[in-house]
Amino acid sequence: MSAREFTCVVCPNGCSIVVEVDDDETPVVAKVRGNVCKRGEEWARQEVENPLRTIASSVSVSGGDFPLASVRTTRPIPLGKIRDVMETIRQVTLAAPVEIGDVVLVSPAGCDTEVIATRGVGSASRDVRRAAKAKGGMKE
Amino acid sequence: MNGRERIPAEHRSVVVVGGGPAGLAAAIAAKEHGCDDVLLVERDHILGGILNQCIHDGFGLHTFKEALSGPEYADRFIRKLRGLHIETAEGTIVLSLSPDRVLEVSTRGALRRIEADAVVLAMGCRERTRGAISIPGRRPSGVYTAGAAQNFMNLENIMVGRNVAILGSGDIGLIMARRMTLEGARVEAVFEILPYSSGLPRNIQQCLNDYNIPLFLNTTVTEILGAGRLEGIKVAQVGSDRAPICDTERFVPCDTLLLSVGLIPENELTREAGVAIDPVTSGAVVDDRFMTSVPGIFSCGNVLHVHDLVDWVSVEAAQAGAFAAEYAGSGRRTAERTISVVPGAGVRYTLPQALSGDQACTLSLRVQEPWRDRSVVVTDNGREVARKRMMRLHPAEMIRLDIAVEALSGCSSLEVSVG
Amino acid sequence: MVRMYDVLVVGGGVVGCSVARELSRFSLRTAVLEKELDVGLGTSCRNSGVLHAGFNYAPGSTRALLDVQGNRMMDDLCRDLKVKIKRIGKLTVAFDDEEVAELHRLKEQGEVNGVPGLELVGHDRMQTIQHGVEGVLALYSPSSSIISPYGLTIGLAENALANGAHFHLGQRVTSIASQERGGWAVTTASGDRFSAAVLVNAAGLFAADVCRMAGITEHEIYPCRGEYYVLDRRLDGIVKTLVYPVPKKNSPGLGIHLTPTVDGNLLVGPSAEYLDDPEDCACSRDVMKDLRREAHHLMPEIHVTDYIRSFSGIRAKQTPPSVGGNKDFVVEDRKDVKGFINLLGIESPGLTSAPAIAAMVRAMVEHHLPLAPNPTFNPVRPGSALLFSDRPAEERADLIAQNPDYGEIICRCEKITKQEIIDAVRNPLGARTMVSIKYRARASMGRCQGGFCIPRIVRILRNEFGWSTADFLKRSTSSPLFVGTVRPGGEGTER
Repeated sequence: MSAREFTCVVCPNGCSIVVEVDDDETPVVAKVRGNVCKRGEEWARQEVENPLRTIASSVSVSGGDFPLASVRTTRPIPLGKIRDVMETIRQVTLAAPVEIGDVVLVSPAGCDTEVIATRGVGSASRDVRRAAKAKGGMKE
Repeated sequence: MNGRERIPAEHRSVVVVGGGPAGLAAAIAAKEHGCDDVLLVERDHILGGILNQCIHDGFGLHTFKEALSGPEYADRFIRKLRGLHIETAEGTIVLSLSPDRVLEVSTRGALRRIEADAVVLAMGCRERTRGAISIPGRRPSGVYTAGAAQNFMNLENIMVGRNVAILGSGDIGLIMARRMTLEGARVEAVFEILPYSSGLPRNIQQCLNDYNIPLFLNTTVTEILGAGRLEGIKVAQVGSDRAPICDTERFVPCDTLLLSVGLIPENELTREAGVAIDPVTSGAVVDDRFMTSVPGIFSCGNVLHVHDLVDWVSVEAAQAGAFAAEYAGSGRRTAERTISVVPGAGVRYTLPQALSGDQACTLSLRVQEPWRDRSVVVTDNGREVARKRMMRLHPAEMIRLDIAVEALSGCSSLEVSVG
Repeated sequence: MVRMYDVLVVGGGVVGCSVARELSRFSLRTAVLEKELDVGLGTSCRNSGVLHAGFNYAPGSTRALLDVQGNRMMDDLCRDLKVKIKRIGKLTVAFDDEEVAELHRLKEQGEVNGVPGLELVGHDRMQTIQHGVEGVLALYSPSSSIISPYGLTIGLAENALANGAHFHLGQRVTSIASQERGGWAVTTASGDRFSAAVLVNAAGLFAADVCRMAGITEHEIYPCRGEYYVLDRRLDGIVKTLVYPVPKKNSPGLGIHLTPTVDGNLLVGPSAEYLDDPEDCACSRDVMKDLRREAHHLMPEIHVTDYIRSFSGIRAKQTPPSVGGNKDFVVEDRKDVKGFINLLGIESPGLTSAPAIAAMVRAMVEHHLPLAPNPTFNPVRPGSALLFSDRPAEERADLIAQNPDYGEIICRCEKITKQEIIDAVRNPLGARTMVSIKYRARASMGRCQGGFCIPRIVRILRNEFGWSTADFLKRSTSSPLFVGTVRPGGEGTER
């Protein structure tokens, strides 16, 4: 049996919640106290038993006016799955143009979410590409 | 200004300076409140401001009831702006602003002079630097403000370091702790000179605790070491006077130090225009129409005072934009300021600093230190006008308090305090 | 391969660059060996940027002679090299009888040294020169001035280069040997070899080390650090004249004071602290605290947000802390070591003296080598001393219309344009560090300290000059800015 302390993030009240946990291989909530509302208790229970997180990252874009497109999961995923999902995201390269909301991955690492682009990336203008080839002032 | 007359002036009704969340909302509101001649000036090549690099989620919970990333939040406003056919000038910077609202504007290919009926200042803020907080030591590479590191990572595809220490537990620092961890860096710790974090509890949990990154309160960086690249820092606990306690000093090896030590509203243009500045917010003194001490110049968003939630930036800026349109369309009629508002016990600042008394208003304020179960009380010469009971009051969280127009009748001098 | 020259100058500070520029008037093969990746990165970029009038130095001393001469040469030099200079004058202020007596002595001494326009001024006259100055009597020296110290060093180097001098950057001299047939063989840390008939030791803090390499053992350099704060340009214009206390006997410096810079900042400092490491340009907690206290005392309107940066520079002193004070400059053509011109202990007023030192070195070189005029020598460096934003509006409008890159502001605090960044990147010396860009374009020297412009400069360098993340160095090869990319690709030309 152990107690874990949280500052509730459900609303600006920010209750200090204490959760008493039976620590076996999978933690089980025995008691929640300090919360004002029911949502707080549910949140705290979730935080102990199966915390869920939305994650944001970036994927490579080739031929774009920015080298990266930012992405995020559309639904929260289990905390323990973050590294696996990140690994999947790292493998992705998109070709410009990218539109905001484009689906980049479906069910990464078996999670019930999509990964979508959160910013648009236009195709690199010819000017930028030409300038990139000009090496005036480039390091020797 | 030299040769000012020689560059022909354009005339505009409302010019919005800055295309971040505040500028976008202000321009949209100005148009929606009947001003057909709105120009939004943005120094970057894209609109959205700092939101473009804030790829984490959590934006728009109040406005859209969704947890959007920064670029998505900006995109909602940019689409609306485009739909309203509001003219924008990207890659354009305002070099100077005069008290009679003449702007000198530089853009690729042209130096422009614009005379505006109303100007909305929405330039945002900048980060405090190492120099501003006087960290002793050498000057190696590898010391970045958290926002600059975020820009490099999220917009330029650049990793600034591998072994990271973070000074300051503001939200940007916390967000970067998680971001760098997810990209394979090792974040040694976050150090905070105050006895409490200045970040949101959600970010403490999800950016630090989730990744077992320790947060050391009452601790600061006392020295930066390294002749070339950063080799490490010395940290020490601080006493109640916030001075380091020598025998607690210890060495933390790292190749990168991120500074998340506060934001400063960027009011150089504002000062140049002769606008009165509040020494506590470092932003303009405004009335309940967000008009500054210079008629026709309005201020909103982080250039007015540093916010913690973008949603409130948008709300505030929309009001400022609407009032700017009203001012420009009414033959520049100003409302009389009849009520002063000052911070009282326990309140660091309150805004606006003056009210007309002819409309309901929302006060924005921050408390000086954390409290639980207290009230924010507004009094007029000792008589209670409004009160808001709160379970949690925290300096890192801006408090908004609505006052009905009826409550303001007969008031002359409001004081806002923690009671 | 040995690169052969007539004259090798060891050290690319303001003294070495002055010598190279002076020698480029003649048909000589001259080269500068500089250990850093740019000129002027040592003491030359880390000082008050003050040109001294020359009344503080004993009559007949080398310092007195060179300072007064150098000061006199600066107007023409700065005009030709496009370097910012402001002749703002200085008040040295006395508070008691003892100091008043000292002022009278300094005035007489200055007049013997040939300092122009010295004047003792009473309280009222002091007030008209600089409002708010306290004190009973002041010595006014109109030839005291401020200058951009790195601007001067870079200007000298670029003009020397344009007139045929060579600059070898990143070349730390590790050995010096006299050759049998005369002259010197020099090896650097990278293994490169050079030779020359005449060697000029302008190695600043390392001048005694260079001496020892050549077998000269009697010199010692004691590094003495001075720390400064840089204040926001908000305070520009308040300090119109340099104001110094009467110098204290045996003090290693001239005392903490406020110095305006040609760019509109104020400096607070310098402190004076002896140390062992000649490269330990750190700032220390205690000194920083003292400087803040002193600054507030000197100017109560300084706000805590006005401190935008601190830095330190190191004086190459010949006197150990136990002795204190100053020793005269060593400017000598060694009789015992043929072809070794020694410039050592050039601390303050080294910046002022540099052009006069160079003229003296030229006369010494003439004893060793015939000096035929360089027929193509052009003393004028192209460009302007002014920043783009300091030019009149109509001129800017015309230039922006011709070149859109002048219309794009990259550094918002100092209003530096994209074209100015590009010019800095394409500097003729080929210096490619971030501080090289900073000292040339002034970008990142404002109140946000590069938070805004450095990401934008990085973007320009990657997209338009093809730099990759590994190419970005702050100051030296050991100070990389970045460790790689977040995702593969996206580097420069790959995009």
